[in-house]
Amino acid sequence: MNADMMQGETLAYYPGCLVLQRMPEYEAATRAVLRELGIELEIVQQAACCGAPVVESFTADWVYLAAYNLALVERMGHDTVVTLCGSCTNALTRGARALEDPGVRAEANRRLEPWGLAVTGEIAVKHLVRLLAEREEDLRARIVRPLSLRVALTNPCQVFRPGEVMGFDDSMEPQSLRRLVELTGADVVEYGGENECCGATLYLADRKLSLAAGRRKLEATRGADVLLHGCGNCQLLLRHFQHLIVRDEPGLRQRAPNLRQRALFLPQLVGLALGLPAEALGLREDAWR
Amino acid sequence: MKHPESCIECGTCVTVCPVEMVGGHAIVTFLADPDATDYSVWLCTSCWRCQEACPAGVNVYELMMQARRREQAPAGYQASFESVLACGLALEVAQEDLDPVRAAWGLEPVRLPPPGLVRSLLRRGG
Repeated sequence: MNADMMQGETLAYYPGCLVLQRMPEYEAATRAVLRELGIELEIVQQAACCGAPVVESFTADWVYLAAYNLALVERMGHDTVVTLCGSCTNALTRGARALEDPGVRAEANRRLEPWGLAVTGEIAVKHLVRLLAEREEDLRARIVRPLSLRVALTNPCQVFRPGEVMGFDDSMEPQSLRRLVELTGADVVEYGGENECCGATLYLADRKLSLAAGRRKLEATRGADVLLHGCGNCQLLLRHFQHLIVRDEPGLRQRAPNLRQRALFLPQLVGLALGLPAEALGLREDAWR
Repeated sequence: MKHPESCIECGTCVTVCPVEMVGGHAIVTFLADPDATDYSVWLCTSCWRCQEACPAGVNVYELMMQARRREQAPAGYQASFESVLACGLALEVAQEDLDPVRAAWGLEPVRLPPPGLVRSLLRRGG
């Protein structure tokens, strides 16, 4: 344990849209796990949409939304912001990269000035997977309840790609999430689709195709106890919209019983292994068995 | 849409696209076959696999985004964009609805973005 951890540290936390509004359990579980590591999160107040992919689909000016959110983090005095969704991580990171261009930065500051903000873009954007992967040894030392579960993984796509910008792990076959799951004692079940997108953002353009992508993943992972991911979009499709997926194909329920219980966020699984009470992780006591 | 000159039409992008895996045709269909017309630039999950796998270094994402900006958006995208313009978030939520949820989870209160923010940030020129 280093000095920072002994004293505890506080990082900024960007809430995004989905997790803020629909998945408070993800934030709660994240905070519970990080607290064990001596890390507190300070939420970014008045954060706006990250900008991608929705705003980016309409205007190249989406980058000023990312700049606004980064400016809020800078005003808080932090140099790191923690994210829980793949898309937010990706948009804020690409936004910070875009702000390296002096012209973009000057225009961003011109637009931010009426809001009393300024931005440099010198902020490290860290998805929870990355933050935990950096504390792997600290985490390992705190596992008190090794889990005997069979876990299938879905890597949060946008945390790792484009590799040249995200600069973390292998961009096509990342290993961080797998290592974190193995650390809990759980067995990782291979199904070949670990690096295939769940299909959630496709829902905005074609619901049927999106549900088909979700069904493909649920079907492929039906031998596992848990389908583990690290993104609000994955949860939206694989859990919240599960009833829509099943409605389209009732046979899936027979082939894969207890579907509703299986999609979990990374900190929920890690939290169980840390001995945290299921309730604090947004899990019913029986939900993960 | 102009087919990118650097694209060698090898089709690697098609093999890694999650949309193609479930029978949809995304921009990768057009990259693999410049004569194709049965594809949509809106069918994408933003997973970046095609771009990452491309041996020719085509910036598929940017090509797609530029194409989208010239086209009519599907209703889902349009609604999300309008929500961002109106309230700053892709999903609309009222402060009075958010507060009790956070309190119930023991999470610190959070203030929503200020009105008019996004229109101001996206305003051109001025």
